[in-house]
This record gives sequence, C-alpha cells and structure tokens, in this order.
Amino acid sequence: MALIRGTLDVLVLKTLSWTPMHAFEIIAWLSERSDGQLDVDGPALIQALHRMEEKKLVAGEWGTTKNGRRARYYRMTTDGRAHLRAESAQLAADTGTLMSILGAKRS
Amino acid sequence: MRDFRIRPGVRRLFGLPLSSHARARADADAELHAFIDAQIEHLISRGLSVDAAREQALRNLGAPLHDIRQDLQHSVTQREDRMQRRERLDDWMQDVRYAARALRRAPAFTAVVVLTLGVAIGATTAIFSALDALILRPLPYREPDRLMHVSLTTPDLPTRKGTDDGVWSYPKYLMFRQAQTVFDDVALYSEAQFNISTGPAGEAERVRGEWITRGYLPTLGISVERGRNFSASDDHPDAPRETIISEALWQRRFAADPAIVGRVIDVNREPFTVIGVMPAGFGGLWGSGDVFLPITALPAPALDQPASHSYEMVARRKVGITETQARKAVTILGAQIDRTFPDKRFTKPMGAAARPLDDARVAPAVKRSVVVLFGAVAFVLLIACVNVANLLVGRAESRRREIAIRLAIGAGRGRLVRLLLIESLLLAISGGALGVAVAWLGVQALAAANPAAVQMRAGVIGLGIIGLDSIHLDMQALRFIAGITLSVGIVFGLAPAINATNPSLIGALKSARGEREGRGLRGRWLLVVTEVALSIVLLAGSGLMIRSLTKLIEIDPGFDGTNVLTARLALPGGSIKRDSLPLFYTQLLDRVSGLPGVTAASLGDSPPLAGTNSYTKISLMDRPAVDFSLMPSVSVVWATASWFDVLRVPLRSGRIFASTDRVGAPSVVLVSEAAARRFWPGENPIGKRVAIGMGGFDEAHGGAEVIGVVGDVHTRPDSLPGPTLYLSYAQSPQSRMILFIRTAVEPTPLTAPLRAAIHDLAPAYPLYDVQTMATRTATATAAARFSSGLLGLFSIIALALAAVGIYGVMAVLVGQRTKEIGIRMAVGADARAIVAMVVGQGLRVAAIGTTVGLVFAIVLTRFLRTLLFEVSITDPPTYVFATLVFAAAAALASWIPARRAARVDPLATLKTD
Repeated sequence: MALIRGTLDVLVLKTLSWTPMHAFEIIAWLSERSDGQLDVDGPALIQALHRMEEKKLVAGEWGTTKNGRRARYYRMTTDGRAHLRAESAQLAADTGTLMSILGAKRS
Repeated sequence: MRDFRIRPGVRRLFGLPLSSHARARADADAELHAFIDAQIEHLISRGLSVDAAREQALRNLGAPLHDIRQDLQHSVTQREDRMQRRERLDDWMQDVRYAARALRRAPAFTAVVVLTLGVAIGATTAIFSALDALILRPLPYREPDRLMHVSLTTPDLPTRKGTDDGVWSYPKYLMFRQAQTVFDDVALYSEAQFNISTGPAGEAERVRGEWITRGYLPTLGISVERGRNFSASDDHPDAPRETIISEALWQRRFAADPAIVGRVIDVNREPFTVIGVMPAGFGGLWGSGDVFLPITALPAPALDQPASHSYEMVARRKVGITETQARKAVTILGAQIDRTFPDKRFTKPMGAAARPLDDARVAPAVKRSVVVLFGAVAFVLLIACVNVANLLVGRAESRRREIAIRLAIGAGRGRLVRLLLIESLLLAISGGALGVAVAWLGVQALAAANPAAVQMRAGVIGLGIIGLDSIHLDMQALRFIAGITLSVGIVFGLAPAINATNPSLIGALKSARGEREGRGLRGRWLLVVTEVALSIVLLAGSGLMIRSLTKLIEIDPGFDGTNVLTARLALPGGSIKRDSLPLFYTQLLDRVSGLPGVTAASLGDSPPLAGTNSYTKISLMDRPAVDFSLMPSVSVVWATASWFDVLRVPLRSGRIFASTDRVGAPSVVLVSEAAARRFWPGENPIGKRVAIGMGGFDEAHGGAEVIGVVGDVHTRPDSLPGPTLYLSYAQSPQSRMILFIRTAVEPTPLTAPLRAAIHDLAPAYPLYDVQTMATRTATATAAARFSSGLLGLFSIIALALAAVGIYGVMAVLVGQRTKEIGIRMAVGADARAIVAMVVGQGLRVAAIGTTVGLVFAIVLTRFLRTLLFEVSITDPPTYVFATLVFAAAAALASWIPARRAARVDPLATLKTD
C-alpha cells in the first residue's frame, strides 16, 4: 500500500506515542499493525525521522537494544504529541470527506 | 566512536564547541548500519542464514547502499548547518534579551546615555543639514561649478573700504560682454518690485521680480517651461514689451491658464506680453521673483549711463577655462573698462573681479552664524561623546565584580565581551533612533524659522534660492555623525569590558575596591575634567555671542514701535507728478489720520532696523571743501514731521519740520545725535549748512540748513546707529514711502479700514507689506535671536551633560568611600562635614576643568572676535558667569551623592564587607 503524502509523519508519531523506538522497530511495528500491508522504506523513514527531529516533533538518542546493539531511539516530544493530535484529526476529517464523495450514490 | 550526543541546550550551557559535520555524518552512518543490522537480526530470527539475511536486508533498502549513505549524509550535513545557524541566532537573541533586561534595571543610566546620544546626534545633524543647505550643497543649476559672479571693484578710500562686489552699469556690461572670451555667456540681473494688474479693471498687486538680460536663463541652464526666452530682438530698447512670469504667479494669479503665453498684463501700468513661464521653483537668483522683464525695457537713463551701476552679473565659464584663468581675464578686462569709462570720483582705478557664484550664495553674516552654530554643536557632540564614554566606563567599573563572578562560574570570556558589546549596541541603536527623530524635528524647526530668508528680506545680500527652507535632513551627515557617536559608545563600552574580563579575576573577587578601581576612577576624573573644560569653552563662547546679540537686540533702538502699523504704498515713478506729490501726501495723511483709532499718521521712506535706507556723501559747508573721496557718508531718511511723533523719536534741540518747510522755501535738514557729535563736536549744529548728495540739497542748490537734532535711531540690527540726516517729504518729494501710523490700541485690526481708505483715495496703487512695527523689529532681529537661542540651548545641553558626568563620578566615589565615611562618622564627623567633604571634591574637579577650559576659551574665542558687537573676547562678566554657573552645576551634581553619603549608617558600613 502506498502512503498518502504527508501521512508518514503521523504514522510514525502514532507509533512513537507508545514508546521510544529505533527505526527498524518502527517499521516492524507499522508492518505488524497493518498485517504486512504497510511497507515503509527504511532509508526514507530515517530521513523522515531526521526531519521530524529538526522540527522538534521527536528527539533522538543513542541507546542499546535488548540484544546489546547500539541503536538510535526516537521519543515523541510534547510538540510531537500536539502535532499528532492536530494532524490525525485533520486526516480523519479529510478521509471522511473523501469517503463521502467516493461513496456517494447516483440519485 | 563516542557513544553520546550532548543536547544543544547543554552544549550552550557549558559553552562547548558545536558538533561538527563529520560527527553528524558518522552518526547518520551508524544509524543506517544499526538499522541494517537490526533487519538482518530480524531476518535471521525468521530462519534465514546470515548471508541470505544480509543480502535480503540490502535488497530491502531499494537502492545501492553507497547511494543511500550519500543521500543521508548530504541531508544530515544540511540539517546540521541549519541547526547551527539557529543555535547561534538563539544565543544572540538570548544575549539581546539579557542585555535589554540589564539596561531596564538601570533606567537612569540608560535614559541618560540614550538622551545624550540622541540629542547630540540629532542636533549636530540638524545644524549640519543647515550648513549643507546654506554652504556646501551645489547650486541647483546645470554644472554649477562653472557659474561665476562677476562684479566691479572700487579702490579703498580714506573714509571707506573699497568693495569687491560692486554692481554693473549697462554700458560697462556691453563692453565686457563684447570683449570677454572666457565665458560661454554673461548676463545681468537686478532685483525689483513691480505693480502688476490684468487689464484696467484688475486689482493691482505688488510682486517681486528681476530685470534680466537675454543671457540670464541660458547662463544658469534654465529653460522656459512654456513659451520662450527673450529673443535677440528683445535685446534693444525698442524691443516689444515682453515678460516671463514665474510658475507660482501663473498658478496663483492666472489659475494655470494654458493660454497664458500671449496674454497681456500691466506691469507698472505698462502693457507687457507674457512670452513664457519659468520652471516650477525657479524665482530668479534673488529668489521668489514672479515677474522677469528684459533690462532693455528700462528707461534710457538706466541703460546709457556708464555710472548708473545697479545690476549684478552672472557668467558661465567655458569648458576648459579654469577658475584662475577666468579671474585673470576678468581682472584684465576690468582695467580696460576703467580706461574706457574713467570715474573721476576715484583717484585709483576701478576694476572687475570674478568669484564662483557659490561663494556669493549666502550673506556672509548668515554664513558666519551657521559656521559658529556648527562649531558650537560640534562641541556639544564632543562633550556628549566624552559623557557617554564616562558613563560606560563607570558602568563597566561598577560591574567588575559581577563580571568576575560570571567568569569564575565558567562563563566564556568571549561570550561576556559579546554580552557587553550587545549592551553598548542596544544603547547606541536606541540613541541613534532618538537622534534621527531629534534631527528630523530640528530640521523642521530650522526650515520653519528660516533666518536666512528673513535676512534676505531685510536686504542682506545673498542668493534668495538658498534659504533654510531648502534644507532637508542630510542622510549622509546623519550616517557620519551617528557613526562617530556610536563608535565612541562601542569603543568605550568594549574597552572596559575586555579589561574587566581579564582572566586575572582572583584580585577582583577578593576585593571590589582594589587598586584597579582607583586607576579606573582616575581615568574617569580625567574624562570629567575634559568634559568640564569643553563645556566651559562652549559656555564662554556662547556667552560672548549671546551677550553680543542681546546687546544688539535689547539696546534702546531709539524709537517706540508699540502700537505702530506700517504699510508700503507703491507709486511707480512718474505716476504722480513730482510737484503734485506733496498735495497727495497731505490728502493721504489726512485720510489716514481720520480713521477711528488712529492717533497720528506719518510717512517715512525706510523702516528703522531694516537696513534699507539710502546712503550718500555730504560736505560741511562751513569747512574747506575736501576731495569727494574724503567726504563723509551718512544715512539719509525721508520723513514727515509727524514721523518723529509716531515713532516717538525725541527732539534734542532745535525744531522738527514745519508746514512752511516745503518746496521753494529754504532747504532744511534734521540731523541725528550721532551726526551732531561726529560733524560738530562741541558745537551747536543748529544753523550749520550741509550739502547733501541726494534730494536736491547738493552744493549747486545751496545745501540745507540744520534746524534740529533728533535722537539716534538704529538703522540696522547689527551695528550702532551711524550719522543720519532726515529730509522732509514736503521739501524733497519722493515716491517711495511707508506709512507709519500710531494707534491707540493694538493696530492689526486697522488693516482693513486702512486698505479701504487707500483704495478710495488711490485705487491704482496697491497697499502692501502691511506689518506692525513690532513685527518688523522682530523680523530684523530674527536671525540674531535665532542664533542666540540655539547657542543658549547648546550651552544648556553642554552644562547638563557635564553635570551628569560629575554626578556619575561622584556617585561612584561616594559608593567606594562608604566605609571611610562610616568611620569618619563613627569618630564624630557630622553630616554637614561629610557633605562639605564630598561637594568639595566635586568642586575641586570642576575647578581644574574650569581653569583648563577658561584658558582654551580665551584662545579659541579669538575666532569669534569679528562676530562680536561691543563685547571684548575677554569680557569678564561672561567668564565670571560661566565659571559661577559651572560651580553651581558641579556643587549640585556632587551634593546629591553627598547627601546620600551623609545618610550613611556608620554601624552598617563597618559591618559589611
């Protein structure tokens, strides 16, 4: 499934709203949630995370995985939480509009 | 690889170096590899072999690893740049906010510095703008540096200095124009006033204008906007009567009539055809001219007499001819002209001289006063700079301890210096902004007051176009002056800052009152002494100027102008026959005297103080005849008998004109006291005979008998009254006249009935220039009052700045000596003794500054000598006054901190520190 433009940020923020994760964990989580439908490109996700870090929506920090490897963990910031709330409401409204058009029956 | 990354905030807090691009790239690499490793691990956990998992993971990337790494590193580098910029900006903003807070916490300091900077920058810029408009800015004509003013010169005479700005006669001009080869074009111009009306029914109006020759406009590089210039055929006496009018007159009088060219208007009751309209804003070199007539339209005697000198000459130098070459050529031509038209009045030859038109642009008096004002304001600027330096050094001193603490807890030195620099910059910018506002207001005020134009009207020479109303805010000057002042602020803000952040901070921490502060204070004392000395120089200089000017203004002018209304009545030459004039005067005065509220009416030809009266030579007929050049020169005023009554000029001896002193009766003359003293010292002038070179009282007509002596009346605002002779209108009819009317109450409301009465009597002659005598007096002394007002203002500013300087140092001193004062009080000194001690110290510094200042003042005020009227440059009262004012200011400035010192609680001070 291709991502609608601009929805990746919201999805990442949603993912991080549970707990700080590193890039691969995010991909795995999204894939699992969508039953393998959502296949995010790794490098694109890293770019997106960097972009969001610059916008102070997430904060990155080096940490260690449970397997003892180094990984960069991202945590959602307060700004990120507000952004997620606003954007998901907007997305829901947009989707609703879209659906009402697509689902409209000829009278 | 380091395993941590410091957050930017922490980095900022500890002043650590920002992360480099290299580390950002390494970070990104590590992240990418960690991602790949995590995926491999994940795939292995799904059962793939290590190699297969690696292969799968790399394939999943969607692009070659190398490309992905490059992409990532590129974007990371860019991000790093952006973040560093933002961080630096954040740092600056933080410093700015901090500095602003620090300044707000010291409101008195901030206000004084900002005000000082603002006033100094503003005042200097405003005065410089005036200097620029009046003296520096090029004339508003094409290639103005090629324009020259050419004049005739007369040799020095025993009684009178020769002139080098004499005017031309038409025959001399014709010869000069024929013979000269250095100018593209030369032209004559001469100021005049005209009565104009449009047709017989139109209302007559008095306007200014110029008589010009055809070359006038091409010489200046002005082209006629509508219509044309006078043509070659206009340049002879029989030419058709044509005129060019100003754009202002065209708008005002003719409602911008598009068909103006070809219309006929009456100028001095003669029809002239309008052939053109001048470009907007051009009113001739005399300024505000509305009507321009060809000189050739003047009556013949004005054109064919070589000695009828009344025209100025302007010339445009040829390209390639230098100023020196032109001057030389003019000098040679001058000698030729003198040989062709010898003047028997002079034993030595006349000549001609050329100077750049630019030099002739402003009356020397105006030029001098502007230069003096600029000198004064430059002093204010200097004092302001010293004061700001003093305040900034003081502030840095008082913060030495704070700075030491900051350094001790790890603040970077560079960062602290930057913080102090930002503080200075904030002060400088606020001061600069205020300065722009003050400069703008100052320029508006100067343009509104326009003392130069006032002087023009008062008949002082100069080009009318160069009025102060032409001044505008000089942005270049503003930038320059703001630059100087702000650099002073920054240098003196920064130098102590760098000094204070010197790493040897243990000393500063140990004691806030160490030796270093003593040295700093000595530096500040030096600044204060400088400031006081500069202020004394300014105060003394301004004091001398002001005393001189007030002497001029407030001396008894010799007449009483309250409740006197004056108005001019124009009778163009020949409009009333000379013989009928006395009758016309009688009718006129009868009519005016009959108006309700009028107590007396009179005529005079020139108002006092205006400097517009005639001058002539006289000879004393009871003495042996002398050469013309040795004959004394006197002012001549025409007046009616009632004039002395209206202006309350006292009769000292003899009698005033009587009704029997008329044409045909024995010639009589009144003399002023100055004339009596000068010509008949120790003798009774009554009954003496003088021959006067004017009014038909010359030697050939038997001269006139002195019948009375009247009080001295000032004829000019800037000099003492010289010998003056009064002739009677009844005996020497003159068409030029001013009505002087004394009224019972304030005379302004009388204007309308007066106009009506004159219109009734002589509808063709417009009444104009209606002013109260009080207004005329004010106008005549406006420039002087303006200058003295500004000088006074500058002195007050300088005084205030110096007082602030003394106060600032005394306040610090008292702060430092708190402990000592506490001890003194503990051992029995009372508050009065403490106050005396502190004030005494302030006065000592003021005394040193004053002494230095007075020495400099005596040296520097030499340059003012020529500007002073009846005041010596070592005028004791001025210096005593300046010294006393300063002593008072110094005492007050040290008394305030002294009082604080006297309130010291001895116990508290001994306990602390």
